[in-house]
Amino acid sequence: MTLTADGRKPPARPLHPLRAEVVRGFAPWTGAVVLLTLGVLLTGTSARWQGGWAETRSQLHDSMLVIAPLTAAAGCLQGGRERRRRTDELWETAVRGRLARFLASAMPVALWAAAGFAAAAALALLATWPYAQGDRPHLGLLPGDAVLLAACAVAGHVVGRLVAWRPAAPVLAMAGYLVLAVPAMASPGAGRHLDAAFPAPVGSDPVWWQPVVMAVWTGGLASAAVLAYAARRRYTALVPLAAAIAAGALLVRTGDGLWHDDPLASRQVCDTSTTPQICVNARYEGLLPQIRGALSEVVGRLEGVQNLPVRFEDRPGAPRHGEAQLPMLAPFGWSVVRGRLTDPKQYAWEAVVELEGRGDCESTVDPRVRRADDAVEHYLAPGPHQEYFDKLAAEGSAAERAELTARQRARARLASMGEEERRIWLSAYFATAGSCGARGVPAL
Amino acid sequence: MTAIGPRLYARSRALWPTLAALVGTTGFALWAAHLMDAYLDPSRRVPVVALAPLMAAAVIGTSLYTASDELDRTAVRPWWPRRLVQLLGLSAVAAALLPTAVLGDTLVFGPPAMIRNTLGSTGVTAAAAVLFGARLSWLPAFGYVSAVYLASGGARGPAVTVWAWPMQPGPQTGAWAAALAAFAAGGALYVARGARPEGARV
Repeated sequence: MTLTADGRKPPARPLHPLRAEVVRGFAPWTGAVVLLTLGVLLTGTSARWQGGWAETRSQLHDSMLVIAPLTAAAGCLQGGRERRRRTDELWETAVRGRLARFLASAMPVALWAAAGFAAAAALALLATWPYAQGDRPHLGLLPGDAVLLAACAVAGHVVGRLVAWRPAAPVLAMAGYLVLAVPAMASPGAGRHLDAAFPAPVGSDPVWWQPVVMAVWTGGLASAAVLAYAARRRYTALVPLAAAIAAGALLVRTGDGLWHDDPLASRQVCDTSTTPQICVNARYEGLLPQIRGALSEVVGRLEGVQNLPVRFEDRPGAPRHGEAQLPMLAPFGWSVVRGRLTDPKQYAWEAVVELEGRGDCESTVDPRVRRADDAVEHYLAPGPHQEYFDKLAAEGSAAERAELTARQRARARLASMGEEERRIWLSAYFATAGSCGARGVPAL
Repeated sequence: MTAIGPRLYARSRALWPTLAALVGTTGFALWAAHLMDAYLDPSRRVPVVALAPLMAAAVIGTSLYTASDELDRTAVRPWWPRRLVQLLGLSAVAAALLPTAVLGDTLVFGPPAMIRNTLGSTGVTAAAAVLFGARLSWLPAFGYVSAVYLASGGARGPAVTVWAWPMQPGPQTGAWAAALAAFAAGGALYVARGARPEGARV
């Protein structure tokens, strides 16, 4: 039996020589850094994506803006390793070619970075799952993002081999931020379709081949850099370069056609048992019972009232004639956090304001209309800030106090009406919904 | 004769290239602020205020590297005054130069925010130099600040000014406390311990 110097038994089968490169040294740390950075980023923003599959996808993709430059810097650091160790001459004596030697030290960082991203993506999807309210997981962009990370790591490695300067890695990271962020911030041009970290809008999906072509674009550029640096026949770099250019041309030529609206986002699920009907976007149809619960009091008090909109709608764009906008649910993180309505009372008040439809009017609406609006809001769903504003007015100038008294009188008048009388009054009131003038608004 | 020691120290820490890099960072920040038409809307200066201090901290962090750690430890004189002067001096230069890129409005991502971010990032980087070595010292600050940059938009809560200190527009006390604490803790750690010795291994 042979024993190694430190007394350990050698493994039964000799370990692959590349194994040490993969499991030791800086490469696993790259994976940990990617996972940790994504962890901070995703935890900080969890209210905005947890519970929405499309939101989760977009958040993961948008974080490429941070992760990709970081990975390039890690690759750059790894690239300078042989120079710092003074082992580059030793590598020259290896029986493998230059390219194989390059890949042996470059690929572990690329693989670990991609693995860190995959782990973070899996955790994010798992975190969204229990709170999801409809829709399905959008996974299309994730493989392309992993290829982008690997490409950044390998390209950074080439830079690290070529540049012997200690701040090279952070400078490369900074340059990466600029390359990826400038198209997102600058004026819209066709060049933004070449930006692999360009923010993915919620409610849009890429066409199926967009991630593939994007992967050819990023991977092709990185492969061209590697072949130009390390291949025995350097002209072979022209092949991936040509592929990358073709892919880039395809991306630029197709332009806005690369993204199409998610058909689900234009559909809605409705509860037709109420008047007005309540519709929520099919992307988060599971929220419907909560919304019905939040609006039940409003809907109950409107029973038998005429001239109401047919339904609350929740589609992109303005409401059609005879419809009112459902108060905003998406983007998540405000009204809805992790599949729950954060403040049902506030939500009900917002719904009443939408029914009144005077959001687009100038703030100088006739005081009589304002008082009627206030009385209706007070009767149907008093806003959570109402008491605060009343208190403010009570402590204010004489005119504000007089206005408060008039408001309170109008509220009391509406509340003291008989059922039938109030129904007739509300019907007349809602006939004027959406108009900014005082004409036709019934007196209180 | 007495001036030779500090001069050699400055050369061994690549002081002149570091100062040149700081000036270059400032020029770059000026150019970026101009490019983004920051004079139209102060909040467009956010990327400059977040990233330029990061760059300066990375430059300062990599200058903390010593190529002769074992030799240094045989010295008779204490090292901490030199480390203190080096860190404070470079931080002061960065904190004096960078705000010139965002002159004007002081309340929304103006010079105070730039100074705060410079100090905070440098502190995190100095602490990282002690823990991971000067060569990698830029990494934690880069990861943290860039993650906060993407994460803090719309984030709310009582502690947000503390954890998202690089992204606060101006005079928030929590952000200043966090940045100054990072600078004090990281600086003290570096002055006391020095950058982690790293050979040619990594």
